[in-house]
Amino acid sequence: MKFHRSKLLNNQIPSELEKFFTEELTNYLVIKDGHIIKNHVKDNNIFIENIEDTIANKPEIFSQNPFLTKYKSEAYQYNLDEVNSGVFIEVGKNKVIKDTLHVFYVQENNDLVNNTLIILGENSELSYFEYLINMTDSSINFVSNSIVSENAKLVYSGLSNLNSKAIVSVNRNSYVKRYGNSLYSIAEVNDGITESNTFIELQDVYAVGTSKTVAITSNEQEMKIRQLIEHNAPDTEGYIENYGVSNNSSFLVFEGVGKINKDMKRSTARQSNRGIVLGKTSRLDANPLLLIDEYDVVASHGAAIGKMDEEQLYYLMSRGLTLKNAEKLIISGFLSPVTELLSTKELIEDFVKSVEKKTL
Amino acid sequence: MSVLIIKNLHAEVDGKEILKGVNLEIKGGETHAIMGPNGTGKSTLASVVMGHPKFTVTKGEVLLDGKDVLKMEVDERSRAGIFLGMQSPAEVPGVTNSDFIKTAMNARSEEGKNISLFKFIIEYDKAVAELKMNADLPHRYLNEGFSGGEKKRNEILQLKMLKPSIAILDEIDSGLDVDALKIVGENVTSMKSKDLGLLLITHYQRLLDYISADVVHVMMQGRIVKTGDMSLIKKIDNEGYDWIKEELGIEDERVYVEDEKEKILLGTCATKELLGL
Repeated sequence: MKFHRSKLLNNQIPSELEKFFTEELTNYLVIKDGHIIKNHVKDNNIFIENIEDTIANKPEIFSQNPFLTKYKSEAYQYNLDEVNSGVFIEVGKNKVIKDTLHVFYVQENNDLVNNTLIILGENSELSYFEYLINMTDSSINFVSNSIVSENAKLVYSGLSNLNSKAIVSVNRNSYVKRYGNSLYSIAEVNDGITESNTFIELQDVYAVGTSKTVAITSNEQEMKIRQLIEHNAPDTEGYIENYGVSNNSSFLVFEGVGKINKDMKRSTARQSNRGIVLGKTSRLDANPLLLIDEYDVVASHGAAIGKMDEEQLYYLMSRGLTLKNAEKLIISGFLSPVTELLSTKELIEDFVKSVEKKTL
Repeated sequence: MSVLIIKNLHAEVDGKEILKGVNLEIKGGETHAIMGPNGTGKSTLASVVMGHPKFTVTKGEVLLDGKDVLKMEVDERSRAGIFLGMQSPAEVPGVTNSDFIKTAMNARSEEGKNISLFKFIIEYDKAVAELKMNADLPHRYLNEGFSGGEKKRNEILQLKMLKPSIAILDEIDSGLDVDALKIVGENVTSMKSKDLGLLLITHYQRLLDYISADVVHVMMQGRIVKTGDMSLIKKIDNEGYDWIKEELGIEDERVYVEDEKEKILLGTCATKELLGL
């Protein structure tokens, strides 16, 4: 793994982000084209450095965790070869971080090849939020890995708001140890072609992994959301939950896999998908898969996809809401599982605005 | 003072005629009650006036202060002043009760002139207290996980907040226990004024113990067959509907009898039989 430093044109924070930096937002970091341009992380218990330094100075992290540099896919390999952005975040043993850490990733000059690594020590807790934005035509290859140690808890949320000029490939991986808990909630409201993967590996007994996604596609966009929760130990739990809306003539696919390997007894794998097909010629597929090689498990999977509920529309309209406003309210309610995770008013407003832009 | 006039209203669903010429006039300040056995078209009348997409009007008129209601969209009817307290309101997950009612109130005010948040909260809290509902109501999702009684009270809450000129309450008493019925009755009664015309649809006279009606109608076979005053209710309560049927020579009061579905034996391929293969 070798870092390719890209040129920073200026250290101006994009005006689109300024509105987020209110007093409410205590811990945040802005990284542009691989350079940390603002570090406003007030909590001393979070260790942060540019991934460039980690690659150069701490090679043992990668050698001790070989799965970080293992071939997973072409996009992942490309990321390892061409990385030019990323942060290393570490929370030590027994440290509980109260305020969410917000990281804003900005692309301005080159294609973005980001690799972020989060390591939580034993019994630690972190809420991490990421926001992705691009300024120019580019391809975005975003990788993040997390290692959740024994009895640690990671609450990982993300809002990716990349415009139609970005071709996006995202891989988020999490490795969860004994009693560890990893909760991923991702909102993909990009306008461009997107492939987003979330893989959670439950490595030891009593590990729990959850992957929630909200995805909205519009215009001619194609988006593929893949999730895999793999049970590599007995007594592990994995949950996949998806909410999607496809508008205009876009195409959205959810491909969720709960995989319980042989001998991983008493494991639980559950999955649900809900979708609203909004556009006349749009399409939304859900393939909720269960791959189970063990008898003594609990598993379920389901998908419910259709157009907007007419009874709900009628009810809201009977109180004077126009069709447009009724639709807006129903969609915002439908997507509330992710809205609930956003920590400040400004972030919620930003999300709601992107949703409205894509669904009207 | 508003006037709602229903003239010779005919409506059908899936090609079956359910309303067969309803005539009714409700003025502000009046309270009408429609009673009648199951399946005689009472709820259909309410849904047609509100504009439920399932029903098609084939003949007749509905006028609110001279304006053609049937030409309006559902939301326009609401903003014109018609309110329907529904028998089974839809559940909308993720939308909080207070957000919904605020949006509905804003829909009534002029463009850009939203109701002040402070005023809204005071009014809302007052209405919640008057209906003896739980204080966590504003944060709960609209009707989701509500008990039957809570849903009904929530409809009355909206009635209180939206202040329509014509309100139709469709079986607002079903699913309510005696205490809740009393609360709902008192709240509706307290709203009575010359600016509100009320139409209550019910099976039971017990709702009318709490809300007195000026005019009582009995519906059968998709039309109003008898009109009277509160004494009509007492008679129905004591003797049922049979005497009306006898008087009018009606044998079956229902609008239509559902065809009995062909029974299929378990063990055979049900789908195949249904398809007639």
